[in-house]
Amino acid sequence: MLRVKRITVSVVGVLVAVLFAFPTYWMVTTALKPANQLLSDSYDLVPLGLTLQHFVDGISKEGFLTALGNSVITSLGAVLFALIAGLLAAVPLARMRFRGRKGFVLLVLVAQMAPFEALLIPMYLMMRSADLLNQLPGLILVYFAATLPFTAWTLRGFVKGIPVDLEEAAMVDGCGRWAAFRRVTLPLLGPGLVATSVFSFITAWNEFLYALTFMQDQGNYTLPVWLSGFQTQFGTDWGGTMAASTVFTVPVLIFFLIVQRNLVSGVTAGAVKG
Amino acid sequence: MTVTTNTAVPVGAPPPAPRATAPERPRKRLLGQQAIPYLLLLPATLAVLVMLGYPVLSVVLTSFRQLDLGELVQGEVVWKGLDNYREILSDPNFWVITGRTLVFTAACVASTVLGGLGVALLMRHASRGVRLVLQLSLVFAWAMPLLSATTVFQWMFDQNYGILNKTLVQLGFHQFAGFSWFSTGLSTMAVIVILIAWQGIPFVAFTLYAGIVGVPADLYEAAGLDGASSWQTFRAVTWTALRPLVNVVTFLSLLWDFKVFAQVWAIRQGGPDGGSTTLPVLQFLKGIATSHFGVAAAVSVIMIVLLVAVTWQNLRLMLRSEGVD
Repeated sequence: MLRVKRITVSVVGVLVAVLFAFPTYWMVTTALKPANQLLSDSYDLVPLGLTLQHFVDGISKEGFLTALGNSVITSLGAVLFALIAGLLAAVPLARMRFRGRKGFVLLVLVAQMAPFEALLIPMYLMMRSADLLNQLPGLILVYFAATLPFTAWTLRGFVKGIPVDLEEAAMVDGCGRWAAFRRVTLPLLGPGLVATSVFSFITAWNEFLYALTFMQDQGNYTLPVWLSGFQTQFGTDWGGTMAASTVFTVPVLIFFLIVQRNLVSGVTAGAVKG
Repeated sequence: MTVTTNTAVPVGAPPPAPRATAPERPRKRLLGQQAIPYLLLLPATLAVLVMLGYPVLSVVLTSFRQLDLGELVQGEVVWKGLDNYREILSDPNFWVITGRTLVFTAACVASTVLGGLGVALLMRHASRGVRLVLQLSLVFAWAMPLLSATTVFQWMFDQNYGILNKTLVQLGFHQFAGFSWFSTGLSTMAVIVILIAWQGIPFVAFTLYAGIVGVPADLYEAAGLDGASSWQTFRAVTWTALRPLVNVVTFLSLLWDFKVFAQVWAIRQGGPDGGSTTLPVLQFLKGIATSHFGVAAAVSVIMIVLLVAVTWQNLRLMLRSEGVD
């Protein structure tokens, strides 16, 4: 009886694993299949031949590299600004006593749940009057604002997690407040900073609605917008589409593997009491 | 910021802020110290007020305005009171879209949370090796960017050469040869729900699994000693421990799935014939695609109101727990 249960669990477990891994597998194998095997009626779960042609084609397609660059610039830019402003805010929220602290904490918490998608119209109008439509800085600003509350909130949790005594000990030994922070707290914050920035990066990397709305010239598309247009334009070039999707996925996959230990705590940190 | 050395700190007192001015002017220094938290908070607060506070205010104001391309170009401000709302609310199509959005959100949240719970339990009971394989494949699904996942799903669900239809035919369901999954709104929505559940389950599963692992083992032992069946053990021990976490992931999924735009738009732009148009898509169509910004802003306001109404219970709980802090 127990054995039957164990085998059932294993079989179901493997089936579920296959289900979840299959789209990734299918994306990569499609990208590697020779073109004549893609639009064929044969049933081939395992590719019979391999080619890198789709990667060469996809990457040399008009606008791909530009879009890749735009995605990298906007995502990294937003993460950098959010990290600076977020860390500056996290330290007083976690460590200092001052009037209105509770109000600021509440502000960050509420801001974190703000439905950015529902603010599309005012953002569009705002960027239009600031002459930032169809420009990367406009998008960076939006992504910065969208990731900042989460960044500040999570970093506040990480700062709180570092014992104050460590900083105090450094100060007893003759460090100033700032030196104590820089020499003791900041290095300990390292993993937290990495985890937080990876999450912000992925948010910005994935963002579609604002990129689609703001960017009118192909030269300013980010990868998600380029990819959706590519799919419509070259509807049957599945090899090229999948190759481009693979290139789009790889950085995120690497980042996920880097922070996998913090995956769960990172996301729930904002939701559960920090 | 200048660095000054600080020699003695009383134990137990809150650590002093860095000195901004020379120590021989104590009153000024005190003022400077008091300002430091606010100075540190300034960039973030400014950003939140300008990029979040102002848009929230602006979306409400815009929803009372007549703002089409003409007014926008000429910079005219034409107030029309509640007319935008009247126009939307009297449109039967709007109610269809709202109903569709709510059903769609419910379907996404239910399948994500239940699926995630199932996978978490599976991880708990699986052997080490199977669990590792399962976790790895979940990370693969989780890591795939929205747009990559959407294009892969379009390819898998392709009418003629998609692997799904081919597999179904192999299994003997010949009616799926050349079956088009995107020809009706309902089946298009179904594919999108599957896509969103597939993307959302890993996070829920990992979170709940972390919760399950955290349940003290003696609780299970005690339940075993009392002769509880596995269902009774699940209800009395696992479920009791998991409920707060399930609430959190349900709340987060609600928040995320109600606003989904990218997947819906990328698959059929809300088609066929508007059959997969949800409120976020409507907002985009009214505002950006056809330049009726006032009407679109009214849609946004309705979206925010609905979202707050749907998540009210959790919002209150969360704010209250923070107020106690």
